[in-house]
Order: sequence, then C-alpha cells, then structure tokens
Amino acid sequence: MFFLSRTQVITALGAVLLALYVLELVRRRRLSEEYSLLWVIATGVIAILGFSTPLLTWITRTLGFLGESSTTFAFGLAFSLAMLLYHSIKQSRLTSDNQALARELALLRDEVETLRQAGDGASR
Amino acid sequence: MTPRVLVVIPAHDEQASLPGTLAEVHASAPSVDVLVVDDGSRDGTAAVARASGVRVVSHPVNLGVGGALQTGFRWACQHDYDVVVQLDADGQHDPGYLEALLAPVVAGRCDVSIGSRFVSSTGYRAPWNRRLGMLLFSGVVRLALGRPIYDTTSGFRAYARRVIEVCQWDFPKDFPDAPLLIALARRGFRLEEVPVVMRERTAGQSFYTLGKQLYYPYKNLLASLMALIRKPV
Repeated sequence: MFFLSRTQVITALGAVLLALYVLELVRRRRLSEEYSLLWVIATGVIAILGFSTPLLTWITRTLGFLGESSTTFAFGLAFSLAMLLYHSIKQSRLTSDNQALARELALLRDEVETLRQAGDGASR
Repeated sequence: MTPRVLVVIPAHDEQASLPGTLAEVHASAPSVDVLVVDDGSRDGTAAVARASGVRVVSHPVNLGVGGALQTGFRWACQHDYDVVVQLDADGQHDPGYLEALLAPVVAGRCDVSIGSRFVSSTGYRAPWNRRLGMLLFSGVVRLALGRPIYDTTSGFRAYARRVIEVCQWDFPKDFPDAPLLIALARRGFRLEEVPVVMRERTAGQSFYTLGKQLYYPYKNLLASLMALIRKPV
C-alpha cells in the first residue's frame, strides 16, 4: 500500500526543491512575500501528494482520475493556470498604472517648463 | 463670451506631416490654441511642433492614440478649456471643417460632435476590410444605442467641457472608437455627426498595422459589450 512510484519521488523532490528555491528568492528580496505565498502553498500541496500515497490514492479515486500521477499533474496544471491568470490581472493593472505615471510625468514636465520660462521672463 | 477651444493633435513620429497640418489649422482657425501630444516619438515631432509655436506635451514612452488623447484632455482641464477638438497629425482631417464641427458643441446642441464621412455623400471610399469593419461597428453602435452612428472610427471630433472632465480620467488606451461612443452615450452625453470630407494621409505610417487590424475587431467587440453592460459611472 505505502510505496512510492518513481514519478511520485521525482514530483515530491521537485516540489521540495522548488519550495526551497522560492524561500531563498524571498530571503534575497528578489521575490516579494505576496508572490511567494501562492508558490509555497502549491509546492507544499504537490509535495504532500507526492509523499502520501493513501491521500493521493483517495483523491484519485474520488475525482475519478486514471492514475495517481495524473492527479499530481492535474493539481500542478490547475495551479499554473491560476498563476498565469493572476499575472495577467497584475500586468493589466501595472500597464494602466504605468500609463497614468507616464502621463503625469509628461504633464509635470510641461508645467515645470512653463514655470521656468515664466521665471526667466521675470528675472530679466 | 467666446468659448476657449483647444485642438489636440496626437502625434507619433509625424515630423513630416505635422508642420503642414499645424499651418493649416492656424490658417483656418487662428483663434484656437493647439496642443501637440508627442506620444513617445523618436523623430523630431516635438521639435517641429515647437518650431511652429504650439504647445507640446511629450510622453516619455508610447501610450497609443487613446493614451495621447487622454493626456490632451487632462491638459485641457488643467488649463480651463471649454471645448477640445481631436485632430489627426497626418493631414487626413481638413481644418476647414473646424467651424462646422465646433458649431453644435458651442451652441450646446450636443456634447460630442463627430466629423463623419458617411452622413451625406462625401465621396469617401475605404478599402474593403476597413469598410467591413466600419459597417460592423456602426451596426454594433446601432444595436447598443438604438440609433446609428455612421462613422464610428472618425478621429475628427469635438468634445464639450463636461465630456472632457470624464474623459481625462477614463478613456480607451488604444482605439477610441465604437466602445467609447457607446460609453459616452450611456453616460447621457448627446452625440451628433457632422458631415466632413476626409483626405488621404500626406506622410508617415497608418496607425493600423496588420497585427492591430486583426486585434481591432476582437478588442472593440468585447469593449463595446462591456461598455453596454458596465454601469456608467
């Protein structure tokens, strides 16, 4: 009953390594805590599924997947899609913020230029 | 009191056609102010505009024609203009029609006037794919508003102050066409078409590249639908 297939071992080890790498990125401030959360949860889930055969088998039977490895990959794929959607949302937001900033910069530069010319005119 | 009118000209790499357009605007409407929004040009667009004596606001990066117009609306609000006219840099729009375009807005008969190639026979012939798109989107607008706007893609328009105040914060980034008109009408602004004759562009590149031609119908159909179901703010 409790035996690990090669796929499970690879998946579980991969998940653990990824989780460690994610934490390391946070430590070096190259990844914000906000973005790390989803990754840590996802890698945690995959690692648990990889190591715990009874849990994995139960989920596989309940959801009707054909095999345990399919379940693991299905979870991984679902997470990838969620992450991509989340990034698209973030990117849309960043794009519109960026537009607004570029616009305000252009307007402020114009205002500074106008004030400077007025100042030059007054000092002469 | 005569209303303060600002002509906003979005320009991206338009140094070749801009001086001619500016000279024409000055010749046909010497009393209006002109703002060129240089949308991250890499050529001398800003320099030739300044040399013509008009105001120039320069984006540090390219924001697209809608982004440039929105900057024009913000500037117009900051400088207390009553009416903004949107005019292309490439010479397609004949400034001789400025007066006709401004008249209904200044008289208070409408809030947005659209220089239209199709209200009466103006002899305009577009290539078949553009014609199809124009037909489709005037149909979309007719469905959405219950009345047609024939020239949804016209970039020759005049906006009253209360429209400018809304548009300075909320304006489509890329194609300010059918979805914008639907959104404005749903906000209760009155739109009116004014017949104009448009010309071929004199120089420079058309804004609609192949990739954009394919993306355009998708984006504008979706945005039109959203403009229709979104609660007008």
